[in-house]
Amino acid sequence: MTRLADPIEMEVLSNQLLAIAEDMGSILIRSSFSSNIKERRDCSTALFDAAGRLIAQADHIPIHLGAMIGAVETILARYDLADMAPGDAFVCNDPYLAGGSHLPDISIITPVHHEGRVRYFCGNIAHHADVGGRTPGSTSGTSRSIFEEGIRLPVIRIARGGEIDEDLIDLITANCRDPEERALDLRTQIGANRRGARMLLDLTERAGSETLGRAINDLLTYTRRRLASRIAALPDGAYTFRRDLDDDGYGGDTVPIVCTARVDGETLVLDFTGSGPEARGAVNLPDSALKASVYYSVKAVLDPALLPNQGMIDPIRIVSEPGTIVDPRPPAAVAARAVTSNRLCGAVFGALYQALPPQEGMASCNDSTSATSVSGWHPRRRTTYVYPESMGGGAGAFADRDGQDAVHVHTVNSTNLPIEALELEYPLLMDEYALVPDSAGAGTHRGGLGMARQIRFLEDGTVFSARSDAHIVPAPGVAGGLPSGVTRIVRNPGPDGEELHSKASGLVMKAGETVRVETLGGGGYGPPAGRPLPLLARDLREGKVTRAAAERDYGAAMVASALALDLG
Amino acid sequence: MIRIGVDVGGTFTDFVLAGADEATLHFHKTPSTPHDPSEAIETGLRHLLEAHGVDAAEVAYVGHGTTVATNIVIERRGARTGLITTRGFRDVLELGRQARPSIYDYRVERAPPLVPRDRRVEVDERVGPDGTVLVPLDEASLATAVAALKAAGVEAVAILFLHSYRMGAHEEAARRAVEAAMPGVFVSASAEILPEFREYERVSTTVVNAFVGPRMQRYLDRLKGRIAAIGIPVEPYTIHSNGGLMTAEAVAIAPVRTCVSGPAAGVVGAAEVCRLAGFPNLVTFDVGGTSTDVSLVKDGVPAYTGDRMVAGYPVKTPMIDIAVIGAGGGSIAMVDDAGALKVGPQSAGATPGPAAYGNGGTEATITDANLVLGRLAPATLLGGRMTLDAEAARRAVMDNVATPLGLSLEEAAHGIIRIANANMSRAIRSVSVERGYDLAEFSLCAYGGAGPVHAAEVAMQCHLPQVVIPREPGTLCARGMLLTDLSTDTVRSHFADADEASWQTILALFAEMTAEGGAWLDRDNVASADRSFRRVADARHRGQNFELKVDCDGLGPADFAAFVERFHEAHRREYGYAIAGRGIEFVSCRVQAIGAVARAPQAEIAGGPSLEAAITGRRPIYVDAAAGWQEATVYRREALPIGVPVAGVAVIDEMSSTTLVLPGQTATLDRYGNLIVRIK
Repeated sequence: MTRLADPIEMEVLSNQLLAIAEDMGSILIRSSFSSNIKERRDCSTALFDAAGRLIAQADHIPIHLGAMIGAVETILARYDLADMAPGDAFVCNDPYLAGGSHLPDISIITPVHHEGRVRYFCGNIAHHADVGGRTPGSTSGTSRSIFEEGIRLPVIRIARGGEIDEDLIDLITANCRDPEERALDLRTQIGANRRGARMLLDLTERAGSETLGRAINDLLTYTRRRLASRIAALPDGAYTFRRDLDDDGYGGDTVPIVCTARVDGETLVLDFTGSGPEARGAVNLPDSALKASVYYSVKAVLDPALLPNQGMIDPIRIVSEPGTIVDPRPPAAVAARAVTSNRLCGAVFGALYQALPPQEGMASCNDSTSATSVSGWHPRRRTTYVYPESMGGGAGAFADRDGQDAVHVHTVNSTNLPIEALELEYPLLMDEYALVPDSAGAGTHRGGLGMARQIRFLEDGTVFSARSDAHIVPAPGVAGGLPSGVTRIVRNPGPDGEELHSKASGLVMKAGETVRVETLGGGGYGPPAGRPLPLLARDLREGKVTRAAAERDYGAAMVASALALDLG
Repeated sequence: MIRIGVDVGGTFTDFVLAGADEATLHFHKTPSTPHDPSEAIETGLRHLLEAHGVDAAEVAYVGHGTTVATNIVIERRGARTGLITTRGFRDVLELGRQARPSIYDYRVERAPPLVPRDRRVEVDERVGPDGTVLVPLDEASLATAVAALKAAGVEAVAILFLHSYRMGAHEEAARRAVEAAMPGVFVSASAEILPEFREYERVSTTVVNAFVGPRMQRYLDRLKGRIAAIGIPVEPYTIHSNGGLMTAEAVAIAPVRTCVSGPAAGVVGAAEVCRLAGFPNLVTFDVGGTSTDVSLVKDGVPAYTGDRMVAGYPVKTPMIDIAVIGAGGGSIAMVDDAGALKVGPQSAGATPGPAAYGNGGTEATITDANLVLGRLAPATLLGGRMTLDAEAARRAVMDNVATPLGLSLEEAAHGIIRIANANMSRAIRSVSVERGYDLAEFSLCAYGGAGPVHAAEVAMQCHLPQVVIPREPGTLCARGMLLTDLSTDTVRSHFADADEASWQTILALFAEMTAEGGAWLDRDNVASADRSFRRVADARHRGQNFELKVDCDGLGPADFAAFVERFHEAHRREYGYAIAGRGIEFVSCRVQAIGAVARAPQAEIAGGPSLEAAITGRRPIYVDAAAGWQEATVYRREALPIGVPVAGVAVIDEMSSTTLVLPGQTATLDRYGNLIVRIK
């Protein structure tokens, strides 16, 4: 193994580069107005070199991993470095025109000059609460084209020589539902990059341009080498795994997501050939979100501590067929890409785990996120409101432990709105928030449990919409483990309950009606017969598995032994 | 009047004894006794009194910082606890906020709930967000729930009913039912522990409180017994997470408030020592064996935070905002399989400890690197009570770092230190620069055993103009116990659009809470002249989900406009801008009641006659690649004269620590005995 030029300088300076990205992130989070950015941290910040190589990223949400690479590439393709002046900044969001993820994610990219030349770019991407379009929040699952999803921004200058283009800010915010909030957040994004640029120049002065350049090269080499050695440790071959979406947003057949991982020495090809056709609804996965999902999955499965920079991207090649759900053509709708992203991560995990020793694998997670939206009239505030929520489910079981109960998986990791905050804010009441017994796949180790959230509407005319999935397709088990249950959304649960479609949209509720969402758990690992009795006994004692389900999955004899164990 | 401060750490229990003039300070360390921390406290107190000829009856004050509550949580050795909740919500404790703890690593799990599902029971009752009863408390279901917990043999019970911060009667009824059915069981109701909205954080805090309650009570009883047995006529105070003192009775009700007791004492100690020394703006820098604690002090007041994770469980009590990173003397340096040198967070701990401890450790640690570079000497720890094996340190650095990277021994050791310093610097920036402060206006206050040896380089990296090193920095947390006051915090959630009318309600709540705080101070016999109250409102713009703390001291019924102005000012300071037209909401109000503890002002010290008289020797020290090895003068801190600068390269030794002064820097003892290092 060739040595790095200076491993100590690399460690010291890479630390400081990451600190700059993190500083930019904390400024963005601190100074933004909207809860999406501030409380849910749905934003990321990054540094690039003049060639567009990702140097460092502070990612708070994995669907942003590498998400600004496309924007920087587009800028470099469209503009000469020589034409960029200090104080310029670019804005973009479009998945087809500017490497965007979906329209609410707006990126600001700022060139950083040193000694008269562009040396670096500072970038940040943030999820704005609304960018216009047909539906409040701009993330409807049922839009049929990107033109319904909000304002489209190709790469354009939003600041020139340090002056923000107020006309452009007016144009953008005029197309959004809360212009004041949007303008504040855009200015904050521009400001965060300026701050990053200053810190980067300061570091360049302190360390010396050459030393810093050498440390960056070392950092990318180190990361590439580290991932390459993880890949090289896998046996060469092709490993295929398939996960299905319930439908494409408009009912009909299940839609396959197929991932074939081809390992050849130190390179890894992830091929999605065989995946289903472009969706009619908004669950298409545009290029930038596909890449982010793949980078996330590789990092999670092979090396969770891998640093997010160009070095982790270089050894990975992605293959997809144009016109499929993972490679949509304009103007296919993409606003609800998160549903597909999560399922695709499940496919990549499943493929990669086959290349690892079985004891390192994990059964499938829920690979889904059930988003709901409730809107209506707020009598006290005398205004309309929108309450968005997204629910996770169970994670997959490992060879040596049960899967985690009730968590978000893969590219989503947002927090819930507390019940008391919900009830203080909206004319809604929560009837139950609980784990769902028997929702996980049984096994030597069981999957994690899904969760239930049951909401009562207090005002007539409240509108409920869902953007869910996995109502038909469960999370499979592995190595003899059983599959999980599925997600259900029920209107007025009880004898007269009505089970709703996963993409039920615009249902108008009367006061007193309720909707219950129960999400699926994770898949099990290993045959149920191998489950240690104390764990089965604990599940029965805690009511996480009912006796009936346990007798079905583990057999009456095992259940009797487990219960006897608990008494003794 | 003799006053004693005690800080119980994982390895050592530290003591500071202050004489009547507060200038005579005696420092002492004794090995901790984790099976019963009060044992080491008794041993140390007896030693101190005997060694300095003090009559136990003269001791007027004992303040102590303890990790007992934290350790109970970390080791999950607390009481068998049950939880009673509103019907439909027993799983709130386990669901948390549904985010997973590590984005990329699925083997990192959330800490398991301290109350398992079969000991979480539900009761029919429901209160709405405005405090109205939607479902009356059903006595029969309450009786069933209590009977189930009794049958499960619980020793402690936590109670969480939704919106109990608005209407606590149902929780109180449940408490009475538990106490009637299970006399002697420790009960915590959520509205009593944390009357604030957001049910998960409230129940988590309440459950932690119940879980640690019984053992904490037994510990305090033992401690009181031992102190009385020595003949000390006063009961010990405990410092809680916000840096104030609580009586043993108050701790017994709300032990959760002591979860970051020890580190908080260090910060209040640093703030007070440095304020007097003329440095009101600080970054505190406490480097111990396994971690470094960093916090910010502005105008003499520490930064506070409302919540923090304790061993993976959210605990929401007012506490000093301390950032912790896994870099301390015992942090291990290793070369990974792709050729990078990483330092920490793995630590060799107290056993085996660094290779230089000679207890079988073979891995290279930060302490070993400092020894290789001559920055620590083989016989300087604890005044020579502990010796280090320099040869073992050299071997560890050579084998684990220098050889694999093809570096010289010095380059490797200095590389370890540079990386550790870079990690520490990043923590410093995270509490300061990232929150909008300019470090040029701050000083670094270095303490903990290993802080002063790293401070000079870290201050240079962060552009901090000077370093303040208090006397015996290894025991500053114990000294902090002597420099703080009694305090308690109360909070009430109250939601309202901010206007003239709701402002009057807020003021009425302040008055009510001030009366409560006053009653608390009555119980501790605090004279009215020694009392003060701080009032803060949590407020936000409509449409936001995060609150700003707005100082309401000095505002009366006619001052609503002034409140609005203060809100905008706070918004500007915190976020960089203000939005004049947008509506404001009240969310919570808080009152802190403070009772000043009688103490003499810090007094000046005499100091030694001359620098020459303080010199104990010379030794070569490795500065950096450019300056190489240089001959450093070694001084004994107790013998330094006041106001005479020591020029670098120099090393200043004392019982609990070693200070490094680099070329171009000077270190000067001020009249209170603090060492001030001027950075270039």
